[in-house]
Amino acid sequence: MSSPQFEAFLTRLYIDADVCARFLADPDSESARAGLSPEECAELNQIDRTGLAFAAESCRRKLAHRRQSTGHRSLWQRLIQSRRDP
Amino acid sequence: MSDRFGLGWREDLAAGIFAHLDRIDVLEVIADDWFEVSRSRQRALRTLASSVPVVLHGIGLGAASTVPVEQKRLSQLARLVETVRPESWSEHLAFVRGGGIEIGHLAAPPRTSATIEGTAANLDAARRVVGIFPQVENIATLIDPPGSRMDEPDWLCQTLAASGADLLLDLHNLYANSINFGLEPGAFLRRLPLHQVTTVHIAGGRWITAPDSDGGPQSRRWLDDHKHDVPDPVFALLEELGSRTTQSLTVILEQDGNFPPMPHLLAQLDKARTALAAGRAKSATGTQQSVSLVRGQR
Repeated sequence: MSSPQFEAFLTRLYIDADVCARFLADPDSESARAGLSPEECAELNQIDRTGLAFAAESCRRKLAHRRQSTGHRSLWQRLIQSRRDP
Repeated sequence: MSDRFGLGWREDLAAGIFAHLDRIDVLEVIADDWFEVSRSRQRALRTLASSVPVVLHGIGLGAASTVPVEQKRLSQLARLVETVRPESWSEHLAFVRGGGIEIGHLAAPPRTSATIEGTAANLDAARRVVGIFPQVENIATLIDPPGSRMDEPDWLCQTLAASGADLLLDLHNLYANSINFGLEPGAFLRRLPLHQVTTVHIAGGRWITAPDSDGGPQSRRWLDDHKHDVPDPVFALLEELGSRTTQSLTVILEQDGNFPPMPHLLAQLDKARTALAAGRAKSATGTQQSVSLVRGQR
């Protein structure tokens, strides 16, 4: 288990509220739409939903903070700041 | 044996750090902050490193992944290491991007043989480009990583064995993951190859509750936010680590917000000194008892 495609899907699940909402409503369909294998889809069906809510909320807050950041700051300065504002 | 105690370098703490260098043995600098600064600023960091021991700490490599790390980031790191000449450098056992999209966060990879192999390959690539093998840090996670085939202690042990890397053991991350996912922190610690620990992180955190939850125990998690005092169980883990290791350790206190007055941070460093010394004393007593037993048998 785990592949570049699987990691890419987890990334979208954590940072994209629409993907996360569609996944929670119908995990199998959303996972299959991302091109994951049946085995990977089955794994995601067992996901830690409480943890996903925490992770997604944390990422959205950080992304919102990043959008407010000024342009002269580097990507990683913004990442550091977002780490300070979980 | 000479254990060392230091702080994570943060601009908010700079004045206090310079005023108390007699009580700070080492500084840990976030490497990624310095990739895009001017050469003169990098040389300023070199000047700092020539007056106090500096270690670099990366956050953006994403080494714990089935995807190869980006050569550009390795080159940036290599240039910084060449300029600053730190004692060592470290990175997190995390993935930070997928499908070309940045998460902006340290994410725990699925705990599988595939991510172990990917991590080992990425760390070897980092060693070849940077010239120094990184220490690797266990991370805190709010979600039990989907797709995992083993628990965290097993994954860490196998990753360290496959890569040969030393462990930067974040005791607060270990504590947070333990209480969030039903492990006993001391048992978690004892399953790790403690002889491979070279550096230790300590920090604080707080409870958070899931949105739209009933507030029950299943709906809350301990967040590693680096904004609060180090909890006592983390000092207890440091003491146990000291009792189970013989190599010198470097202990770094991380504070990333809600900066208290410097005396407060120094007091936490003193607590860390006391905890580790207590563990060392236990270890020495145990060794003496063993020697006495062996002599008694002769």
